[in-house]
Amino acid sequence: MNAARLFVGAACVALSACGGAQSHARSFSTDWEDDGGASIEAVRVRLAGARATLAADVAVGVAGNSDKLVGLPLGGGAKWTFAHAIETRPVIAGGVVVSQGAGEVFAVDAQTGARLWARPAAGLVLRGAGDDGTYTVVTLGSTGGSGSTLLALDRQGNVVQKVETERSLGAPAVIKGLAFVPWGQQYLSVYDIDKGAEIGRALVRGKVSQALASGGGVYFGEVELFRFDEAIKTSSRGGATKLPIPKRELPGATALMRSPEERVGPVAMAVDKTRMYVRPGAIDAPAALDSSRLYANYFRLTMAFDTTTSGLAWVHSSAVDVIGGAAASGGFALCDEQGKVEILDATTGATTAELAMGEPLKSCVVSADGLRPGAAKSPALPLSAQLSAALTSNDPELVAAQALLMRELATSPDEGATRTLIDIASNPRSPPTLVAEARKALPARRNGARAMIEALGRHYDFLRDVRSAPPVGPIAQALSAMKDKSAAAALASHLVDPADTDDDVKQTTAALIEIGDAPQVGALKEFFGLYRASAEGEELSQAAVNAGHALLKFGGPEGRKVVDAALADAMTGAMVKSRLAAVEQSLDAEKALARDKAKAGEKSKEDAGKKPAK
Amino acid sequence: MVFFGPCKRFAFAPLTVAGDHLMRSSVSSILLAATLAAGSAYAAPPAASGKAAAPAALGATTKDDLASGDAAKVRAALDDVRMGGTANASLAPVVADLLQRGLTAPITLAAIETLGDLESETASPVLATYAQHRNLKVRQAAIRALLKTRGPAATRALRRGLSDADPMIRGLSATGLGAQKAKDALPDLLLALDHRVNEATAAIGQLCGPAECDALTAKLGKLPLDVVTSGLDQAFFRADVGEESRLKVIAKLRELSTAEAGKYLRDVQRRATTATPRVKQAMEQALSAMPGGAQ
Repeated sequence: MNAARLFVGAACVALSACGGAQSHARSFSTDWEDDGGASIEAVRVRLAGARATLAADVAVGVAGNSDKLVGLPLGGGAKWTFAHAIETRPVIAGGVVVSQGAGEVFAVDAQTGARLWARPAAGLVLRGAGDDGTYTVVTLGSTGGSGSTLLALDRQGNVVQKVETERSLGAPAVIKGLAFVPWGQQYLSVYDIDKGAEIGRALVRGKVSQALASGGGVYFGEVELFRFDEAIKTSSRGGATKLPIPKRELPGATALMRSPEERVGPVAMAVDKTRMYVRPGAIDAPAALDSSRLYANYFRLTMAFDTTTSGLAWVHSSAVDVIGGAAASGGFALCDEQGKVEILDATTGATTAELAMGEPLKSCVVSADGLRPGAAKSPALPLSAQLSAALTSNDPELVAAQALLMRELATSPDEGATRTLIDIASNPRSPPTLVAEARKALPARRNGARAMIEALGRHYDFLRDVRSAPPVGPIAQALSAMKDKSAAAALASHLVDPADTDDDVKQTTAALIEIGDAPQVGALKEFFGLYRASAEGEELSQAAVNAGHALLKFGGPEGRKVVDAALADAMTGAMVKSRLAAVEQSLDAEKALARDKAKAGEKSKEDAGKKPAK
Repeated sequence: MVFFGPCKRFAFAPLTVAGDHLMRSSVSSILLAATLAAGSAYAAPPAASGKAAAPAALGATTKDDLASGDAAKVRAALDDVRMGGTANASLAPVVADLLQRGLTAPITLAAIETLGDLESETASPVLATYAQHRNLKVRQAAIRALLKTRGPAATRALRRGLSDADPMIRGLSATGLGAQKAKDALPDLLLALDHRVNEATAAIGQLCGPAECDALTAKLGKLPLDVVTSGLDQAFFRADVGEESRLKVIAKLRELSTAEAGKYLRDVQRRATTATPRVKQAMEQALSAMPGGAQ
């Protein structure tokens, strides 16, 4: 390593002084005229069948006081440490890790951490790197203007090519000695390292600042991701193959990739904790996402969405914030700020491997290009249980993601989802926005009646630290819709609970009209007596009306007597009286109609009986 | 004042208490008195019907008025009944029936207060129902009335009141349970004290057996001294509380060894004129060891 450093130091006083370096004024020129895809198609033909080298499967963290890199091979190799000042986020390119600090750009072996080379940074900032196993191409940008430098180096750190340009170069990918370099936010140029010339270019109808090798293929873009394939020749006409990344709601300002022009420091920021990840499917198949998964990270939560249904596939809760990750073939690898690396199954979210860097990290980058997760250590929890864990966390940082997950939970057909919604709505520590979402979702549930009845067994109890009532109203609506008569007693117990809201009581009485019966008459009479004259407000008045309605419906003659007495009493509230009178009239009319129908039915039977037999 | 309490479970020497003991009413008792006074805020002025306050023997007219369904008549009749106080206790079922059927909010309050003033246990079940009313004022009024009507229904309602969301109801309920000698409620009262229902202290002091008295003593140093002593004071001077319990109180105060604790113990020493020699000696030794205690 020291020998390499000496060699580099001796050979290169500055970037421009390195052997083999040439300046190519024609490359990345804006004089270029759209060639209708001819040059880029020629590159494709030249590369036909070639595959990009798979990048190392490794997690690399910036640790200590941003004065060392820690590498953890995901395939089982030994952890390594490389002491060096770190000023920019490391980049994993093929089999090397490139970073910058103490005035130099340097590379280490991704599997072992062995130093490969270092070059003076000459005041430029690392933007990206690509590697094909022979050459490492790095792009560097000036901090003040738009000028950039491209360096192509061999494993010994010799500069094979150097291009200085006023253009803004993005992060490159390399395959078979060809550097794919996005630039000017709209071009993808292919630079032949051996020839030292740009040999092809595509105009991209989409923002393009990053090129990357994945699964043997080359992709480029920033907001969207395009594939380098036979459609590339139509790129200028918007025909390039675009990966079908669903545009769906994600928490926060979740981005797929960051512009390389943004200087990415060694310490992870919020933007690193709210990322979107995808892995392209097979290069020779129609464009798709691997495992039909779109991954999104939001601080401690990692979510996977099914791109075919758009629904949530799973959610994984980490103990601390996730600061890096990578989608793998059939899985997802995440790296958290405590240096823990977990590999999750793409389908279920089950943990297939847990690794540890052994120390807290400032930031972390992960490459899982060749990784294939093994079997899960234990089966994944049901989605509702995963959601419950994510939603019952009282971390205020997670509220935006939790609101989204709540909406996902509401659509889950799982009974456990109903229980989770109840738990959230009942928990006094749940954020108010989540409580509101849970209460909104519960009336539409058509399963989980047992959990609902269990919840109704809870009442506010100061002494026993039950400091919030269950979501009685929403539960009442759901049970009423499910016509679950077994819930009537539990619902009736809430008629006299002053801790429930007026709306809860209104919904409870409305539900009892539907599912109540004789055993609830006593409670309804008591409630009716308490509030038919003293109710304040529309909701409580309506609750009294509902109680009267229920008494008329199944309270028998005694119930009717109670209601009639109330209708005749001057003290009964005006609203209660008028609405209840209308209810009584309506019920009487229904009964009369039913009687008439029954009579008509009997008469027709009689008439039929009188008809002489033919 | 001499307490000759029933010494069924514990053999205790009765203590003679100096006259100013009454001046040391518990915090809870004061609170109760204040609350009861405040509870009369509703107290309607005598009805302008010209009916003078009749202590008893209200005629059929009053009953008719109560059943009239006319708000003004009902209100006036309730005032009449109320002014007669316990002498009109026989009308409690009539008023209770009115409440059961339902009244406007102001008349509900009047009826509840009337039942409280009649002090008839027959009213407790309906008052217990109103102790769960959604209107806080109604609920508070019902609890206040239950303090006077007593009986098993009242006790059950007061125990439930310890769990109410309203602190005043919790406090009133605790005080009421002490006043109604609801020993069964001791576990709830101790739990209430753990939940900062300070009024539970006096009730515990009135009801505690050795274990509960010790539990109360253990609160010294954990809760404000005046809160705990409002209950310990009740217990210390109870005839049925044994010497061991008193010695534990003294030992705990000595352990606290604060000026405030010393002042309190000195006050107890002055009032406990018939304490046993062991208790007297323990108090003297404790006071001599406490800051300012030897004054």
